[in-house]
Amino acid sequence: MMRFTTLLKHPADWMSASGKETSVVLTSRVRLARNLRGFPFPGWARKAQRQEILQAVKPHVDALTAMKKGFTQELSDLNQLQKQVLVERHLISREQAARNEGSASIVNRKQTLSVMVNEEDHLRIQGIRPGLQLKQAYDLASTADQELENHLNLAFHTKWGYLTACPTNLGTGMRASAMLHLPGLALSNQIGQVLKGIDKLGLAVRGIYGEGTESLGNLYQISNQSTLGESEEAILERLERVIRDVARYETQAREKLMQTNPLMVRDQIGRAVGILGYAHIISSKEALNHLSMLRLGAETGIVPEEAVEICDQLFMETQPAHLQWRGGHKLSPESRDAIRAKMIGGHLQKVLAPAIHLEENFEKPETNAPSDSDT
Amino acid sequence: MKCDFCEEKATVFFTQVADGAMKKVALCGACADERGVDDPEGLLMADQLLGPLSGTGVPEAPISGKSENGECLSCGFALENYQKVGRFGCSECYGAFRQEVTQRIPSLHRGGKHEGRIPQGLVAFEQRKERLTNLALALESAVEEEDYEKAAKLRDQIQEMENSESTQGGAKA
Repeated sequence: MMRFTTLLKHPADWMSASGKETSVVLTSRVRLARNLRGFPFPGWARKAQRQEILQAVKPHVDALTAMKKGFTQELSDLNQLQKQVLVERHLISREQAARNEGSASIVNRKQTLSVMVNEEDHLRIQGIRPGLQLKQAYDLASTADQELENHLNLAFHTKWGYLTACPTNLGTGMRASAMLHLPGLALSNQIGQVLKGIDKLGLAVRGIYGEGTESLGNLYQISNQSTLGESEEAILERLERVIRDVARYETQAREKLMQTNPLMVRDQIGRAVGILGYAHIISSKEALNHLSMLRLGAETGIVPEEAVEICDQLFMETQPAHLQWRGGHKLSPESRDAIRAKMIGGHLQKVLAPAIHLEENFEKPETNAPSDSDT
Repeated sequence: MKCDFCEEKATVFFTQVADGAMKKVALCGACADERGVDDPEGLLMADQLLGPLSGTGVPEAPISGKSENGECLSCGFALENYQKVGRFGCSECYGAFRQEVTQRIPSLHRGGKHEGRIPQGLVAFEQRKERLTNLALALESAVEEEDYEKAAKLRDQIQEMENSESTQGGAKA
């Protein structure tokens, strides 16, 4: 079995997606909601019933082929900080973190498949992939689902599909979402319009931690609202089409900004690099917003490309619980902000200090052949 | 239950999933013989019997939830609670509060009918239940006809199926 420390030491493969196109779409996630027949939903079940559900379900989840040597943990055995870390990694929801009795989190070794027991539903099976790979994320979750359904008597209705605690999840029980980084649309003041358009298409847009969270770092989650009346494939195709459109708008917005207003873009990125590199106190909100600009700088060639990976790592590592976990104990917000600043500064010095090109006639680093030195 | 092809009492039942819809077929002994499905162990395609996509009359099983005084009889969840928290108490609540669900669905979803995948486990479970029913019925008629050799065979088959059930274990009823 995988220990909590091991889980934390290793970044999930979707966090550092080498070789995948992640310039706009960072990750794709698909979760399936499933429930047992004959048991109350977790929110209505009594403590003893929740335990009973856990006993009935968890052995089968642990036995999943994909969960071999994975991480499996009852939430009552984790402290507040550990649970918060799992939330920041999107492995459990905030709602589940607030719960204890009879809840469990099971995660595969690669951290691409996560099963939550007794969250809002008895089972929430989630697949995560880097970049725009909704179908692959669905396949991960669906394979686990199909293995589980051989052992569990699931609540299913021929007309309404999988029966879920909340009727918003009826039918497929599937919520598919992608995380998009949209700084170009934000800088060109088009983001509001695009978000409105997505909403009109019947899709949901949320901040990075899902329902009810604000957008930070120009990161947005786009997901399907409707789960009944269409097949899984149809929902995924429709969602993917919209995401491809939004990604194209973002790419066009970046190109246009670089053509029409490069000074403003360079200024924004330069300021972000300056603050990230030299601040001594920085909140997670401020960090996320500047990291967003740094990532844009790396994508547009203003700062070295390696900064993309550093940004993605820092998006995760500078969040409050991750920071405290690394520090080994609970920290006051003030000391967190100081440690965060130090961590970001350290990472940036390593990669950026010698290579920052904020002047306008900058050329990409790979063209920095010796002959460049006399220009 | 009546036979799907005549007015006789049905004695053979089949469930089949095709094109994402679950179909149930019920036949009387004579109609089953006529269509070459006298063997209760035989695997039967509903499509061959009813024709493709004749998915009408799909039962709204398996939920059978009922309510009394606005509460689900299965779990005691009250409808007024749903209006507060937006969630139900158990899967049977969907039967108990069928009307409210039917009213809510158009504002939540693009369609009112499930078009996605159906749990194979459920189908296997239903098919297994039916096979046991069919075997039991065949056993009954074998005893009636005093064909004890056949009856003994059928009894062994039933026992074998029930034994394999218990080794499967798990939460499956």
